[in-house]
Amino acid sequence: MQRPRISVVGLGKSYGPVTALVDVNLAVGPGTILGILGHNGAGKTTLVDILATRTLPTSGTATVCGFDVVEAGHLVRKCIGMSGQFVAVDETLSGRANLILIARLLGAGARRAAARADELIEMFDLAQAANRKAATYSGGMKRRLDLAASLLGKPDVLFLDEPTTGLDPISRSELWTFVEQLAANGTSVVLTTQYLDEADRLARDIIVLAGGHIVARGTPAELKGRVGTRTAKVTFADPFITRRAADALMFAGMAPLADEPLCAITVPVATGREISALVRALDTWSVIPVDLTVTEPTLDDVYIALHNAARTPA
Amino acid sequence: MSRHALRTRGRDDDTVQLYLGRRVGWAGSTVSTQIRVLTLRSLRTAFGDYRLVFFGLLQPVVMLLLFSQVFSGIGNLPGVVQYQGYINYLMPATLVNIAMTTAMSSGVGMLTEIYTGFIGRLRTMPISLFSVLVARTLSDAVRLAVQVVVAIAVAVAVLDFTPAGIGGVVAAVALTIVFGWGMGWVFVALATWQGKPETMQAISFIVMFPLMFASSAYMPVEAMPGWIRVVSTVNPVTYAIDAIRALCLGKPVGWALAAAIGLVAATATAGAVIAARNFRRTR
Repeated sequence: MQRPRISVVGLGKSYGPVTALVDVNLAVGPGTILGILGHNGAGKTTLVDILATRTLPTSGTATVCGFDVVEAGHLVRKCIGMSGQFVAVDETLSGRANLILIARLLGAGARRAAARADELIEMFDLAQAANRKAATYSGGMKRRLDLAASLLGKPDVLFLDEPTTGLDPISRSELWTFVEQLAANGTSVVLTTQYLDEADRLARDIIVLAGGHIVARGTPAELKGRVGTRTAKVTFADPFITRRAADALMFAGMAPLADEPLCAITVPVATGREISALVRALDTWSVIPVDLTVTEPTLDDVYIALHNAARTPA
Repeated sequence: MSRHALRTRGRDDDTVQLYLGRRVGWAGSTVSTQIRVLTLRSLRTAFGDYRLVFFGLLQPVVMLLLFSQVFSGIGNLPGVVQYQGYINYLMPATLVNIAMTTAMSSGVGMLTEIYTGFIGRLRTMPISLFSVLVARTLSDAVRLAVQVVVAIAVAVAVLDFTPAGIGGVVAAVALTIVFGWGMGWVFVALATWQGKPETMQAISFIVMFPLMFASSAYMPVEAMPGWIRVVSTVNPVTYAIDAIRALCLGKPVGWALAAAIGLVAATATAGAVIAARNFRRTR
């Protein structure tokens, strides 16, 4: 692995008696998207705030772009971009004025700031609204403006704290595509989310936080592999046939879960061989299904399993 | 496809590379640039909404009208009667009152921007946070200057305010602005010290009302009950008002001016130190 852009060792944070993070270790390479998954209060934002130099850790060390977040905060801030849970622009200014302001603060002269602002306005398709007050923007437009502001300085590391909360599905999927392109061009992205599909879609590395601890880590596939198997869902024409099918599958040694009113049966199918066996069993009993689908376990299953495990006292 | 689709869709990576891949090579901004850019931004925000500007200017005028009419009887009290009309006694106090209100709104404005997240963005940027604080107090000082000038113009035009001379008024306005700027640091420090805008509002009023009323602002100190008189003589606002009043009306200023300026310097320094310390990072 190349030299990591972010390296975190034994990081902990407590606010008085409240523990927010415990012994967090991680590394993020260039062009990598790290997904931080967890419910509200799991410590996601605290972790991002420490890495973005907004909060001091109570223990452990963290470096971003090779700089220590405590000792060299100013150098860290030169190489990061941050788009937080809340849209952080001045809503009384126009979109363009916001971008020019940030560019000026980053050290661009007036003309270059304006030119760079226009580049991002075009890129994020805000041209029509560029001179309107940001307060009049839709949620999706504000989010795009916020992201544009984060990218003005071409950061090496981009923090996205729940970036798609409150976005419509089309805006979400556009943002995802964009983040993928950013990463493909070498930007390291740290993305916190409550949405499992988001982590699944974007991140190759995922950590799951619960109560400030990393309770699981791995690729989406590895995490899914930890719980359950694939399941087949078979639907039938009526409840009578459904019951007959359940009998057929039971006879074939499977473990069907029948929902007679819905005329549906779900069966765990670990291997392709088991799918064949399922079809053969139905055929032997002359039961004709209406439909059959096989689904992978989702990150939702992983999340719920981990969450339940975390709630059970050790 | 949505009307606001990201332009990146369907483009190859080279296009994104063009926008993002190369370094921008910006060396970072100097503190003076930061202060200038941020001050101008705050001013644009403050003067960008004409309704806000109008009512912001109207507020001191309404206050002045009410106080000068309701309390006009005070004008006949010993200690005031020599000012030839309560408005001449009241006007300097109104200037200080405007300065206090503006200073208070500095704190509230600061907290509002902490809440909207704009300050949160600034905190992840390679800039000095001290310039954020300086810009906030400077832009509010400009706002204060405009309010003070308008209030004096109205008082002269409508309420028979008769200052001694133009030089005295200019000096009084200058001292008011310096005083307001110093007090602004106190409220900005308050804003960085505690959390909610609502709490901030409540604390601000608790700070402001005793300071204003237990002073020589509305009544001569000699006419007050004993214990308030004690408070008034240690209240810094009394000295600011005495100095501004003397400058306005062409009376000898004495050591009130030195006391007022010393006090402003002390509060500004204390406020700045506390604000800067609280502001950097959450511990």
